[in-house]
Amino acid sequence: MVELDIEKLREIVGKDNVSDDIADLYVYSSDASVHQAMPSVVVRPGKTEEVQEILRYANQNKIPVIPRGAGSGMSGHTVPIDGGIVLDMKRMSRILEIRPEDLLCKVEPGVINDELNRALKPHGFFFAPMPSSGMICTIGGMIGTNASGNRAVKYGATRDVVLGLKVVLANGDLVTLGTNTKTDASGYQLARLIVGSEGTLGIVVEATLLISPLPKFKAMAIANFDKLEDAGNAISKVMSSGITPSMVELMDNVAITAVNKALGLGLPDVSAIIIFECNGMVKEAVDYEMNAITKICEEHNGSGIKMTDDPKEMARIYEGRKNLFPSLSRFGDGLVSTSLADDMAVPVSKIAVAVHEIHEIAKRNNVVMSAYGHCGSGLIHTKILMDPTKESQWEDAKKAVAETYEFVRSIGGTTSGEHGIALSKAPAMKIERKDSLEMMRTIKRALDPNNILNPHKMMDAPDDWTTATKLRYNVRGGQ
Amino acid sequence: MDAKNLKKFEKEMNTCIRCAYCFEECPVIEQKGWDTDGARGKVALSYGLLSGDLEPTQSIADKLFQCTLCRNCESKCPSGVEVCDIITSARADLVEKGYASDIHNTVIKNIKETGNIYGDTEVMAPLQEGEVPLFVGCQYLSRPNKTKKYIKILEKLGINVKVGREICCGFPMEVLGFKEDFEEYKSRFTELYPHQTAITFCPTCTVFLKEGHEIDAKHVLQVILEKIPEGNLGMKATFHDPCDFSRTLKIIDEPRQILKKLGVEIVEMKNNKGNSSCCGGGGGILMSDSKLSDDIALARIRQAIDTGADTLITTCPTCETVLKKAATQIKELEGKDIVVRNIEDIIWKGLA
Ligand SMILES: Cc1cc2nc3c(=O)[nH]c(=O)nc-3n(C[C@H](O)[C@H](O)[C@H](O)COP(=O)(O)OP(=O)(O)OC[C@H]3O[C@@H](n4cnc5c(N)ncnc54)[C@H](O)[C@@H]3O)c2cc1C
Ligand code: SF4
Ligand code: SF4
Repeated sequence: MVELDIEKLREIVGKDNVSDDIADLYVYSSDASVHQAMPSVVVRPGKTEEVQEILRYANQNKIPVIPRGAGSGMSGHTVPIDGGIVLDMKRMSRILEIRPEDLLCKVEPGVINDELNRALKPHGFFFAPMPSSGMICTIGGMIGTNASGNRAVKYGATRDVVLGLKVVLANGDLVTLGTNTKTDASGYQLARLIVGSEGTLGIVVEATLLISPLPKFKAMAIANFDKLEDAGNAISKVMSSGITPSMVELMDNVAITAVNKALGLGLPDVSAIIIFECNGMVKEAVDYEMNAITKICEEHNGSGIKMTDDPKEMARIYEGRKNLFPSLSRFGDGLVSTSLADDMAVPVSKIAVAVHEIHEIAKRNNVVMSAYGHCGSGLIHTKILMDPTKESQWEDAKKAVAETYEFVRSIGGTTSGEHGIALSKAPAMKIERKDSLEMMRTIKRALDPNNILNPHKMMDAPDDWTTATKLRYNVRGGQ
Repeated sequence: MDAKNLKKFEKEMNTCIRCAYCFEECPVIEQKGWDTDGARGKVALSYGLLSGDLEPTQSIADKLFQCTLCRNCESKCPSGVEVCDIITSARADLVEKGYASDIHNTVIKNIKETGNIYGDTEVMAPLQEGEVPLFVGCQYLSRPNKTKKYIKILEKLGINVKVGREICCGFPMEVLGFKEDFEEYKSRFTELYPHQTAITFCPTCTVFLKEGHEIDAKHVLQVILEKIPEGNLGMKATFHDPCDFSRTLKIIDEPRQILKKLGVEIVEMKNNKGNSSCCGGGGGILMSDSKLSDDIALARIRQAIDTGADTLITTCPTCETVLKKAATQIKELEGKDIVVRNIEDIIWKGLA
C-alpha cells in the first residue's frame, strides 16, 4: 500500500492507532493457527464512525480489511492472505448496557468474554458461551466464529445468544440487525447470518446479547474409563436420557498425560475420563441429575466417580480443562501442539468410534493426536502433535487431517463445531458443504461486491491449506 | 542475523501455540494495547529474528526491551513457555547487533568499571565481621540508612551478619542483553564473593545469586520470620508483592506473616500474591522508557488506593522508589493520598 493510504487512515483514527512498522505487521501476520501472511497496515479504531470511514475508504480503493479481536482463532481467521488493513477491534471495549430485567446486555465488539462476565456477576447473571479462551477472546471474535464452550451443551453457542447486532457493511453503511427479544420472526435472520461469518460479511460494532441468571447450585464429577468405547456410550446415554448437564467433557489418554505433565493435575492414567457438571436453582434437582449421570457412567463401567460441590476443587478441574490445548505442547519432547483438525462435531452416538478412528489415523501418519472436547454436544477437539520444523511432518499432518475429515463426513459429522473454517479447514468444508458453496458466494458477492472483507477465506479459500499461506513455523527439509 | 542466543530456544518457541492467554494482565499490553506488546508478540518477534523472517530494526528492539520481565505471562501460559528467557536471549542477540540503548550501555559500563550500577566509586558496603555472609546489592548500597536499619534489625533478632566487599551481582548484564559480558564478569564476582550461602536484602539479587551464581541465597525476611516478636502497630496497609518475590521466588506468605505479627492488618489489592501486578520498575524500562514505567506504576498505585488503605508496604527498593513516584503523581493528578513504605521501616518501628 502507498504511504498516502496510511496517512488517510491516520487522519481517521489518529496517528497512534495506525502502524505500518515491521514489528507490528509481523505480529499481526499470525494468530493461533499455523498460517502467516503480512498485512500492509494495522489500524485500531475507537468508534463506529471510524470503522465506517475506514470501510468507505477501503471499499473505494479495493483494499482488504480483516477484523481482528484477540487473534485466538485457530484456522487462520485473521491472517491477511491478501495483505491489506488488519482492523484490531480491541479498543472498542465498552459495556454499553446491562439490563437483567430484559435478560440482555449491549456491548462493543472488543469486550473480553471474562470481563463481561465479571460485570454481569454482581447482577446475578452471566453470558453463557464460555470458550476456554474466555480470558482473552473478544465478543466480536466469538460472533465471528460462532464460538461455544463447555457450557454450550446446556446454553447453546454464540448464535443462540445473539439477539441483535449493529454491523458496518463493506460500503461503510451501518445496519441494525435482529432485535432485543429472544423470539424474532421479522424477516430473514440476518443477525444469525453474521454469526460465524468470520469477518467476511461485515464488521460488528455493537452486539445485543442474551444473558442468563447465575445458577445457585453446581456440582461436578470425574468418571474414569478403561475403554474409550464405554466413555462414548455413556455420553450418548446421558444426552439422550432427558438430563440437561451444564458440561460433559471427554479427555482421552493423550490429553490426560499432557495436563498431568504441564499442570500437575494428577488425573488417573486411564483410557478416558468424562468430566460432567450440573447446575440449577434447586439443590435437589442438581443432586438428582448428578446421581443419574453417575449411575449411567457406572452402568458403562465408569469407575472412581468422585463428586464435588467445593468451588475450589471445581475451579481446579475447570482450569485444567481450560488449559488443555496449550498443555498439549508439553506432551513429549520435540512434539508441539498445532491447531489442525481441531474441532469437528459428530452425532453424539458416534463419539467413541470417532475418537478410536482418530487414534488409528494418527498412528498411520506418524503424528500424535489427542481427542477431547465438549462431547455432550458432539464436539471433539483433536490437535496434531508433531515436529513442526520438519517438512515431512507437514505431509504427515496433511494426510492425517484429510483422513480425519473424510471419516467425520462418513459418520454424518461436520468439519467445525466451534472454531470456524478460515483457511486450514476450508478444503474439508468445501467437500462437506459442496451444495451450498455457491449460495455462500452469492451472499458474499451481494454484501461485499469488491471482496474486501476478509477475502479468500472459507468457501473462497485455497484448496491446499499447507500452501494457502506461508506456515508460521521455521520449516526445514528432512525427515 | 546470527541469533545464537535465541537458537537455544527454538523448541521452546515452537511450543508457543500463540493462544494469547498471556495477554491477560500483561502490564505493557494494558498500557499500550497492541498485540505486539504482550508475550505472544514478543515470542513471535524473537521467532522471526531466529528464522530469518525478520532482520533486526530499532522498532523490533524497542518492543523487545519494553517488557518488565514480571513473569505474569509465564504464570498465565499453559504451555509453560519460558517467555522471559526468550526475551532476554533476543535482547542479547540484538545487543550484539548494536541495539543496546545508551542508558543500558552506561549501566553495564558502570558495573564493569566500578562494580555498581551507578558508576560511583564511593559506594561501599558497611564492612563488618560476623557469622553469616550478607549480600547488600547495589540498590541497598546506595541507600546506606536502610542498609544499616536492616543490619540492626538482624542484630536485634540475634543474627550477626558478616559484610565484606562486594560488587554488583551482574543481573543487569543478564537481562539487558549483555550475556557475554556476564560470562567474563562472573569469575570476578566469585573471586570477591566466594560464599556458598548469603542473606540478601533485594528480591532481585536473591533470584540472581541463586540462578546466576548458584549461591544458596535467602532473603532476609525468610531468615527473620521465625524470630520476629509480636508487635502492636495497629495499622492497616496494603501489600505490593514484587514480581521476583511472589512469582520467581514464590515468597508470598512470609512478609504477610511478619506484618501480621507486628500488628499490621493487610487489605489485599485486586491483584495480589502470585497474581500481583508489576510496579513498572523491572526489565530495564525504568531506565529506557520512563513514561511506560510511570504509567504501569500509576495503574498499580490506583489498585492500592482502591483498597482504602492509606499505606502501601513493599519489600523491594526498586518497587518502593517507583511506587513512591507514582504516589506523588496520583496526588497531583487526582488529589488522592497513599504513603509508600518499605517493609524494613515497618519492622524497625514494630521492634522499637
Ligand atoms: C487455547 C485456545 C482455546 C480455545 N477454546 C475455545 C473454546 O472453548 N470454544 C471456542 O468456540 N473457541 C475456542 N477457541 C478459539 C477462539 O478463541 C475463538 O474462536 C474466539 O471466539 C476468537 O475470539 P478472538 O477475539 O480471538 O477473535 P479473532 O481470532 O481475532 O477473530 C475470529 C474471527 O472473527 C472475526 N472478527 C473479529 N472481530 C470481529 C468484528 N468486530 N466483526 C466481525 N468479525 C470479527 C475475525 O475476522 C475472525 O474471522 C480457543 C482458542 C485457543 C487458542
Ligand atoms: S507464550 Fe504461552 S500463553 Fe502466550 S501465546 Fe504463547 S503459549 Fe499462549
Ligand atoms: S514479562 Fe510481564 S511485561 Fe513482559 S511480556 Fe510478560 S507479562 Fe508482559
